[in-house]
Amino acid sequence: MSPETLFDRALERYERPLVSYARTITGELESARDAVQETFLRLSKQDLAALEPRLAPWLFFVCRNCALDHVRKVVRFVDGAVDHETPDPGPSPADEASSSEDATQLRTLVARLPLQQQELVRLKFDAGLSYKEIAEAMRMSVSNVGVQLHTAIQTLRQHWRHAESTSTPPWTGMRGNPIQP
Amino acid sequence: MNDPRVTDYALGELDPAAREAFERDLATSTALQQELQETIALLEALPTAITMNETLTDSARKTLRESASDNLRSRRQNRAARRYVISGAVAASLAIGATALFITRPAKEFVSEERHTALTANSQLKKESSPATSAPAEPASLAISKSAPSSVQIASARPADQPVFSRETTAAAPKFDGHVDYGSPIYTGKDLADASSVATTSTQLAEAVTRRDIAGGAKTSSEDRTTSGAAIPVDEIAAAPAGAADSEEIAKLPSASSPESPAPASAALSAASRLVAGNAGVPVAGQASGGMSKVASLRSSNLAPNDDFTMTGVRESIFTRRPTSRIGDSSVNTEAYDSIKANAFLDAQGNPLSTFSIDVDTASYANVRRFLNDGQLPPAGAVRLEELINYFPYRYPQPDGDVPFSVTTDVTRAPWNEEHLLARIALKGREVATDNLPASNLVFLIDVSGSMDEPDKLPLLKRSLSALVEKLSARDHVAIVVYAGASGLALPSTSGEDKARILEAIDRLEPGGSTNGASGIRLAYGTAREHFLKEGNNRVILCTDGDFNVGVTNRSDLVDLIEGERKSGVFLSVLGFGTGNVKDSQMEQLADKGNGNYAYIDSPAEGRKVLVEQMGATLFTIAKDVKIQVEFNPATVAGYRLIGYENRLLAKEDFNDDKKDAGEIGAGHTVTALYEIVPVGQSLPHSVDPLKYQTADKPATADTPRNESDLFTVKLRYKAPDSDKSKLLEQVVKADSTVKFDQAPEDLRFASAVAAFGMKLRADATDSDLDWNTIQKIARESLGEDPGTYRAEFLTLVQKARQIAPEETRSKDTE
Repeated sequence: MSPETLFDRALERYERPLVSYARTITGELESARDAVQETFLRLSKQDLAALEPRLAPWLFFVCRNCALDHVRKVVRFVDGAVDHETPDPGPSPADEASSSEDATQLRTLVARLPLQQQELVRLKFDAGLSYKEIAEAMRMSVSNVGVQLHTAIQTLRQHWRHAESTSTPPWTGMRGNPIQP
Repeated sequence: MNDPRVTDYALGELDPAAREAFERDLATSTALQQELQETIALLEALPTAITMNETLTDSARKTLRESASDNLRSRRQNRAARRYVISGAVAASLAIGATALFITRPAKEFVSEERHTALTANSQLKKESSPATSAPAEPASLAISKSAPSSVQIASARPADQPVFSRETTAAAPKFDGHVDYGSPIYTGKDLADASSVATTSTQLAEAVTRRDIAGGAKTSSEDRTTSGAAIPVDEIAAAPAGAADSEEIAKLPSASSPESPAPASAALSAASRLVAGNAGVPVAGQASGGMSKVASLRSSNLAPNDDFTMTGVRESIFTRRPTSRIGDSSVNTEAYDSIKANAFLDAQGNPLSTFSIDVDTASYANVRRFLNDGQLPPAGAVRLEELINYFPYRYPQPDGDVPFSVTTDVTRAPWNEEHLLARIALKGREVATDNLPASNLVFLIDVSGSMDEPDKLPLLKRSLSALVEKLSARDHVAIVVYAGASGLALPSTSGEDKARILEAIDRLEPGGSTNGASGIRLAYGTAREHFLKEGNNRVILCTDGDFNVGVTNRSDLVDLIEGERKSGVFLSVLGFGTGNVKDSQMEQLADKGNGNYAYIDSPAEGRKVLVEQMGATLFTIAKDVKIQVEFNPATVAGYRLIGYENRLLAKEDFNDDKKDAGEIGAGHTVTALYEIVPVGQSLPHSVDPLKYQTADKPATADTPRNESDLFTVKLRYKAPDSDKSKLLEQVVKADSTVKFDQAPEDLRFASAVAAFGMKLRADATDSDLDWNTIQKIARESLGEDPGTYRAEFLTLVQKARQIAPEETRSKDTE
């Protein structure tokens, strides 16, 4: 397959998940788009045929770095630490309208997870990466991916179930307070 | 109930055996079934819930596709060109050397012309796959290296208003010929044009320092990396006009279209000369090689095997450096060493006080060993006598009482001069069993830039680290921060108990990207502070081969940062790796500022020594800011000189000034300082005439009677690691304590052999000179028990040095 075809396919397959993923990190759409653009620009300078087998982790890893770069630029951290309390991206009005209330609740819960878990959830359920690919993209061990993802899922499950069984969602009035697992 | 397998099971990530086991449990537990059911429901709801439909904007996607297809195309072309490039590699790398010299000279009009030629050469390269570089490598390189001085003359001789080179490809070479009397037929216009193109490339890059996208455009693939220097120009040039951002960069170069505008050209010139000047130690006698070294740095920083990390810009060396007196004889080398001026004899009358900071570093010895094992003499600047001497373990007595270290003094006859005395001041830090070491909070800051991709760098580092991890206890914490173009946390702070996880993280380290130390160092310090252990050892350990780009931060900012963090209780150690790029003095300086030590790791054995055997010493400070002041008694001492510690000398006032930083001593460390003493009655080598207007002889007054029994008094100041107030120790050494050399302690004799060896390597000890034979003999007779066989290894090094530099060929005229 020619590099051009490979590139087009990558763009087709990963553009949307990458934008969503980057947005999880940057917290807003524009810099997320920038990060994704940068990612694909770099992809075009790679040996695509050689990269093919690990394309997904490569893309998400590079995208992650680009997105984190944006975060750093904006916030100008004095000590270089990455702020894990990035603003809640929240659903856009369009998304809000298109998704059910149930999904909206779940999305809000996801947005309150620690950033790392948010990223994992997104890589797993939105981008559809395997544990191994996630591990490579996030520079974590496979077992740690499993553990963190499990923590995230169980946190979500508990609060989600709670939300379903009561009329008042537990997060009402406490927006911005991340849920502690 | 919270079974971790539930999620894995629902996601199909359990292996068959685990799945079977889980299903068995599942069958018996309704709670588990319930949990699984809910989890599955959640997992089904999740994807739709979190899906966001934003993509790139259509216009952005269009631009992206265009840039990408340009990149893909130029990538293909590069590959075709590479064949030629390899053959021209040597030529082009030398060309940079020659041209770097142009740039450093303030010849504005020449630079703008150069740009022109460069553009020309640029298109030439693009269209014709580089005819210049495809020229036979050998003659071309000769031509270029010789052309350096004459080209400068050309530049200054040319009037500013003379016509500049035409942009036509074909016209470039003849015009060059028309203007220039080359004096030799082998200088061709193409060679120069080629050189210029390279220079302009670095100029462009200099301007693009903060433009990540452009620098990114300069980046090439892993295949490119396998070619040598010349791959840069071609890739750079081919890539530059390709990407969208890159063509913007071309347009930004005003001199490309209007050669008459000198202002931007001179801006570029200053940027470029900063690049070159920032390059470690542009040697006085070898400017071409100084420039060449730039090629190697450019290569190491720009040619990343993988685009895994953000490229933040062209590497700009932060450390402007004093001229180096002697650089390695090897041709292409970016290693940097400060020059060391050996301590001269001082007369005890006028300079009774000798003050210095202790130094427990050992890097110099490992580095010297590496050179000798490679069959080369080390550059003089790489030989730090005190580090050579302190490399070896000595059996000094353990301290007793509250003092964290013991002090031993002895005097013997200097083995190289019977008339002179050799005094030793020996310190030994309290040994602390590894089990009793306070908990460690370590953050490894690891350089994963492309240049680390060599067997003696990252892989060696990984082995050494893994060895260290085995020794960690549950109380210890380790984090790993990597830095290259962007920095990131490769391993969040993890307990020493979780060895598997740490090892896995170490195992996953891969080289890739350029070097950007500053954000990495901030992240590392941030991580260390987050997990600060009040009673423990908090330390950032920088592991690098020397490339240390701090982007926008300048050198003093970096030093300020390290010093500030030192005050907060996080210390810095530096581990140097690899060859060809070691910024020796820079790394040593960083470690000094950070209250840490600097070790050079050249082998798995050395890694084990530094990180495992001497873990306490390397990682656990028992006293800080240890200073030594010796007062010599003019009644018994005519003069003296401190052997080594040249860059550790302090002003005499600094001794009592607790604000002055000095060296640290770690658990079990030994520190040895040697003085060569000229007793009264002997004349000082290179002595000055007696003063005409004052009598120098004024020590003894009625209040201070002449003391004929003391030789000198040693005073030491040190602080506890967590204290800001120093304590004072004092010890008097009597003249009659002098013993004959062959009766001196074994350790002292061995140390003197090492000192003589170092002085001989530096060729600075014309009057303290021992021949190799005697050095070997002294060392052999003082091997002692030699745990770790380090002393035996020293013998083999002397042998090697002897083979490389036989007695009769060695230059004796250097001071």
